[in-house]
Amino acid sequence: MRARILAILAYIGAAVTLLIAACVPFVLMGVFSNAVAHAGLHMDPSYSGGTIVRTVAHGRYQTDVYAPVRPRALQQVHAFVQVAFRPVSALPRHVSEEIDLDGDGQPDVRVSFTVPTGPHARPIGEVVALNAKYQSFTMPGNYSFSEMMVQSGGAVVVRVPLR
Amino acid sequence: MAVTASDTRAAVRSAAMAAPSLSTSAVEALMLGLATGPICLASCGPVVLPWMLVQPQGVRSHARQLSIFLSGRLAGYLVFATVVWLAGIALAGAGNARFWIMGGVQVLLAVGLLIYAAAWPHARCGFVRSKNNLVQIGTTSSAPPQSRPTGAIALGFLTGINLCPPFLVAGVRAAQLPTLAAALLFFAVFFVGTAVWFMPFLSLGVVRRTPSFMTVARMAAVLLACWYGFTGGSLLIEKAIYG
Amino acid sequence: MASRVLPRPPAFRSVGRSVLLTLPMALWALLMFTPSFRQPGRNSHIGALLVILFMTALFFLMMRTGKTYRWRRYFFVALGLLFPVGFIASLVAVRGTMSIPIERMVSGDTPFCYMVIPMLILPAAVTRTIIFPGSILPTASNPHSIAIMIGLWLALTLVVGKAWCSYICFFGGIEEGFAALPKRMKIRKLDPRLRLVPWAILLFVVVLSAALFEPVYCMWLCPFKTVTEYPAVHSVQTAIQMGIFITLFGGLVVVLPYLTRKRTQCAFFCPFGAFQSLFNKINLFEIRFDREKCVDCTLCQTACPTMALSAESIREGKTLLNCMKCGACVDSCKKSAAVWHLKGTKVALKPERARLLFLYGAWAMATMFGGSILANSISTIIGFLPLR
Repeated sequence: MRARILAILAYIGAAVTLLIAACVPFVLMGVFSNAVAHAGLHMDPSYSGGTIVRTVAHGRYQTDVYAPVRPRALQQVHAFVQVAFRPVSALPRHVSEEIDLDGDGQPDVRVSFTVPTGPHARPIGEVVALNAKYQSFTMPGNYSFSEMMVQSGGAVVVRVPLR
Repeated sequence: MAVTASDTRAAVRSAAMAAPSLSTSAVEALMLGLATGPICLASCGPVVLPWMLVQPQGVRSHARQLSIFLSGRLAGYLVFATVVWLAGIALAGAGNARFWIMGGVQVLLAVGLLIYAAAWPHARCGFVRSKNNLVQIGTTSSAPPQSRPTGAIALGFLTGINLCPPFLVAGVRAAQLPTLAAALLFFAVFFVGTAVWFMPFLSLGVVRRTPSFMTVARMAAVLLACWYGFTGGSLLIEKAIYG
Repeated sequence: MASRVLPRPPAFRSVGRSVLLTLPMALWALLMFTPSFRQPGRNSHIGALLVILFMTALFFLMMRTGKTYRWRRYFFVALGLLFPVGFIASLVAVRGTMSIPIERMVSGDTPFCYMVIPMLILPAAVTRTIIFPGSILPTASNPHSIAIMIGLWLALTLVVGKAWCSYICFFGGIEEGFAALPKRMKIRKLDPRLRLVPWAILLFVVVLSAALFEPVYCMWLCPFKTVTEYPAVHSVQTAIQMGIFITLFGGLVVVLPYLTRKRTQCAFFCPFGAFQSLFNKINLFEIRFDREKCVDCTLCQTACPTMALSAESIREGKTLLNCMKCGACVDSCKKSAAVWHLKGTKVALKPERARLLFLYGAWAMATMFGGSILANSISTIIGFLPLR
């Protein structure tokens, strides 16, 4: 009797598996994808740059200042602050701007660069630290997740390392 | 004019004339340990996990081994506290000395893990009786030989002197305290705060130690040893070449 | 174990019956690729048509011959060889290189690979952070977003479980192809402890990824970076990483499969395979051994591409946890002792029924997922050909 019940349950399970298979492309994949998308997950700030805390409007373009990103656990990334100038298409040929990174009303760095002409080209420029908390650098140079000046996602993204 | 260690010590002492009381320092140490414990776990967990997995099954056995390991770690903390207070933070925390110490400790950790993985006698003869199931949760198991405490103390001591960032923060703070006893107490309480984060490792005691499980744990220990050896060696080579 | 002595099943099924059993799969393939026919572009139509015919023909042959492994392997090797073609072509078209520049990582344009899933779990559970340079939602430049790929993985795993490694994975076919080339093994003896290495690597990458907050396997150990995409080489570290990828690919995916006739990367290295093995515990389909018929000839052990059989496990009538349900042991058994089995039913009572129930689900998923990759790659190749 027990064997019979188990066998019936087994075939029901097999039928359900086939039903699930039929539903995968039409229902299940979308349900699971939406669940993941709404699970409250976010990208690691060392990749995404963190969250925008301040925006400075300059007419046709804007400068977004992000919150400082500090390494978690043993992450092999130095602390940095990201600044994004967007959109690239509206930027003047040369950009030079003093930016307040920590929100104290005083400029902390001066970012200067020549806007790249091609979609994959990298800006040429420099970051001069006006505040000892930050590090100066020149690009082209050694790129890393905490020190860069690149064209990405329709913006010129600059990451200034923290000392 | 050269600045000697005694000058540094005197300067620290005079600067610490207005240092907070011992109880305040202890609370601060505990809070620092609890807050930075996850980083300690990330730093030392990869060493502790495979080592714990090759221990005999049983929560009591795990508690004994973990307490020996943490004792070695406490010893490392207290040694560091003594060095920091006597010689000043300049020796232990700043400049290239820190990287040489970190690199050397990581290489030693790698060697320690390799010795542990290679020398564990249980899995060598255990595979003949291998079962299909890789992991079982249960209480019945033939007891493997008791592991010796020297390995636990050595691994604990090495992780205790691994100069991760929260460790250095605690070191800077301890160097400002007026007496050696205060610095030792600070680090002891800091240790308690970080040790709390290691308690979940006791739950590994309920996992049944099949021969396959032990082999996997030994293999993982070898892999982690390779990682520590690579990162420690890279650090030492980089400092030797670039200074 | 089963006690009934059954007559040996027929070696072949009639053509009519085979066609009848293939019909649902043919309709499924048509359903899956109908949207391709609605899109403009002759190349995509040709790719879709070829895949429909290919997958339907293979399933028909599975029904007609009663064998699984050989026909599945044709699909799997084709998938392993053609996936890199389509993938690399799309990379070069979008960004001009196989390497991943830092700009792509920062903008979240790195396509998500399912191999990283085990490493994401701990950091996501503790900090709600995804430690992969992709994007959670799909974008115009990155349709293979994290939500889509994880959703797809979950849905497919519910159906196939560890059979992912035989019907879904677009990497395993490369080494399966190299393993099929020689007639005989050059290396016959392999230490059985090697099959535990993937578990050790899984433990290693999960622990270290949680400590370093980066996908350690992708950064240091993935052999398939060699045929897909890799971080741009611009430093000593990235050069070492690239060297490791190439060495692992050459050794585990090309040379060792050729010498051993085993899927050495899958059986002795892949941590994702070890992770998927856990789903064998809950999946309803498995392979079992009828102890009444088994004569311990060890043909099944020789045939198994992943060493998922041991003498002890066969004595107990089971496979090991890392069985990927490719069917090699069943097809090689001369006594019909190795059989497909539906958990809860009697072993060897209706093995063909269990096989059919399993194959309908697995082949449907293979057609949906792998078939679309094949169609895309074929369409890409046709685009390269100098045809008018």
